[in-house]
Amino acid sequence: MLKKITGFGLAVLLAGVPLAGAEPTVDEIITKANSVAYYAGDDGLADVTMTITDAQGRERVREFRILRYDVADQGEQKFFVYFHKPADVAKMTYMVWKHPGADDDRWLYLPALDLVKRIAASDKRSSFVGSHFVYEDVSGRNIDDDVHTLEATDDTYYKMKNIPKDPKGLEFAYYFIWIDKTTFLPMKAEYYDERGEMIRTITALETAEVQGHPTVLKSEVKDLQRNGRTLMEFSGVRYDVGLKDDIFAERYLRRAPVQWIR
Amino acid sequence: MTAAVILTASSAAALELPEIHGFAEADAAVKLDSGNTKHDDYNLMEQRIQLKSTAFISGDNYLAEKGGIFNFKGDFTVDEYFGGKTGFELRELNLGLTPLDIVDVKAGRQVLTWGTGDYLFINDLFPKDYVSFFAGRDDEYLKKPSDALRVSVYPSWGNLDAVVMAFAPNTTAAGDRLTFFDPLQGGIAGRESERKLLEPARQADNLEYALRYYRNIGSHELALYYFRGFDKNPTSFKSISERQLFYRRLDVYGWSLRGPVAGGIGNAEFGCARSREDTDGTDRLIENSQLKVLAGYSKDLGNDLKIGVQYQFEKRLDYAAYTAALLPGDLLLDEYRHLVTQRITKQFLNQTLTLSLFNFYSPSDKDGYIRPVASYDWTDQWKVTLGANIPWGDDDYTEFGQMKENKNIYVRVRYSF
Repeated sequence: MLKKITGFGLAVLLAGVPLAGAEPTVDEIITKANSVAYYAGDDGLADVTMTITDAQGRERVREFRILRYDVADQGEQKFFVYFHKPADVAKMTYMVWKHPGADDDRWLYLPALDLVKRIAASDKRSSFVGSHFVYEDVSGRNIDDDVHTLEATDDTYYKMKNIPKDPKGLEFAYYFIWIDKTTFLPMKAEYYDERGEMIRTITALETAEVQGHPTVLKSEVKDLQRNGRTLMEFSGVRYDVGLKDDIFAERYLRRAPVQWIR
Repeated sequence: MTAAVILTASSAAALELPEIHGFAEADAAVKLDSGNTKHDDYNLMEQRIQLKSTAFISGDNYLAEKGGIFNFKGDFTVDEYFGGKTGFELRELNLGLTPLDIVDVKAGRQVLTWGTGDYLFINDLFPKDYVSFFAGRDDEYLKKPSDALRVSVYPSWGNLDAVVMAFAPNTTAAGDRLTFFDPLQGGIAGRESERKLLEPARQADNLEYALRYYRNIGSHELALYYFRGFDKNPTSFKSISERQLFYRRLDVYGWSLRGPVAGGIGNAEFGCARSREDTDGTDRLIENSQLKVLAGYSKDLGNDLKIGVQYQFEKRLDYAAYTAALLPGDLLLDEYRHLVTQRITKQFLNQTLTLSLFNFYSPSDKDGYIRPVASYDWTDQWKVTLGANIPWGDDDYTEFGQMKENKNIYVRVRYSF
């Protein structure tokens, strides 16, 4: 759920349940944080700039617009990613149908070839567009993939420990997330390997309330093993813009829906 | 580069000229084999600048109301292989519109692609440039543009694409740059080849039509295809004594299915090509009808390692009629062809270094084609690509065997902007 940090999903539901004095359960914290981080509103869009810095200090920049539509709250979602930069991938488009608990469906449109490619999506831990974020960071790790426990709590955060139920193919053994007690935004995540060494962190550097939804505007992932980092910045975040389920189809993969990408 | 420029004098129809992108590129390829081509030691050396732009039409007019978009892409080239010849290749110049909620139209020069194969095309009868493919240009240049009208309709029961286009042949080896099997020479030929390729006249009854119906069934995609037009390769003879080859009339119908299978993506495609000027296979000068079936599977193994495999089966129909019609001395082509391909792609250094190997192998033709490529994104602007084209074969007349004298190693350097 730390994905929420990066995640563009944000959430709402603050309105829903004022947790009347009592401390919420682990399930409540995790569910709410997931909702806040990834399911804010019924849909959303934002312009994203990723600055990828490698161990030698060289920078690469990715700019894209992302559209999100929630088929069901806390459930299926659909995404479009329209690339603007770098120039060699400008107008490339990426579509995801996210199925929590199963493999996502992913398509890539390469305009130079007019080619719609289907992409195998079994590996959710691979790099997203060459950055230090992985696919799961961006679209959200299924909350049922981990066993969550409340490790500690203070005035500001719930510190959750999360252990994958199936560690196969994962580069980490467990991770902690610090969830803001007021907004339920995940503010920090630390990943550890099986030797207990910290290998990766994600930190929310800037947040704001957008249309009533606590929203991460800036977050950074650090790869502590190879000394790389990626800064992700969101701008023009809007929720409930009226995206429809049926635009997430090959038609708009080939031909970006003008009203949503300008 | 963002320049919101108003192009027209009238405020009624305005074009916002948004961004111009493109690249400058230089490439060269060293020949690893001799062959009677224009140059003995290389078969590619050129520089190009590609410019592309998309302009949204704005203002108070019909085109703007209907989401009108102009797309342009063109390449300025200097071809050192042909003595520094300069050229301009218009790859896209088209107008996109959404005249009705469920209808998209794209008119003009455009690149068209459909089907499920990886470098294998059964129902994609749009023109290709195999000279670029074998010489070592970027994959983009495998697809040639078409002058076409594409109408896409999206009713509730599926999606329909209808394309009307002018004929454009595949660009295939012609002897000057790449050698190939020339049946008129009885072997692999280069500059000595004297074929005359007769293209269908540019007239209304020579327009080509391509249809596709497709829909999703859950996570799977089903497509049905129909094509009426011409073979894109000059496979048939008008007159042997006149050395005339032509592009026979062709109908192709088929289907494809693609979707998740066992943690990867599986695809299957079928096509039947009906040779309209030789429907019963008795004309020895005209290629017969043909069936093709393809099955493929690709998978992401994690750690930026991806693999793909394909198997394609081809059958020449009316084979008995074909063999009965042959004359002594005619080449006897096989009834069946089996082709397997394999692709491995591995990325390193945050996906900036990509190594890939694509391999065609036909056990029935006893030939193949190996395509290793290494590319490195030095920065977001600079990219270096090093690769090789290694076609091989026991015989001179098979698809890859005929290309075996064209083995090369190439390098490309590209600056994108």
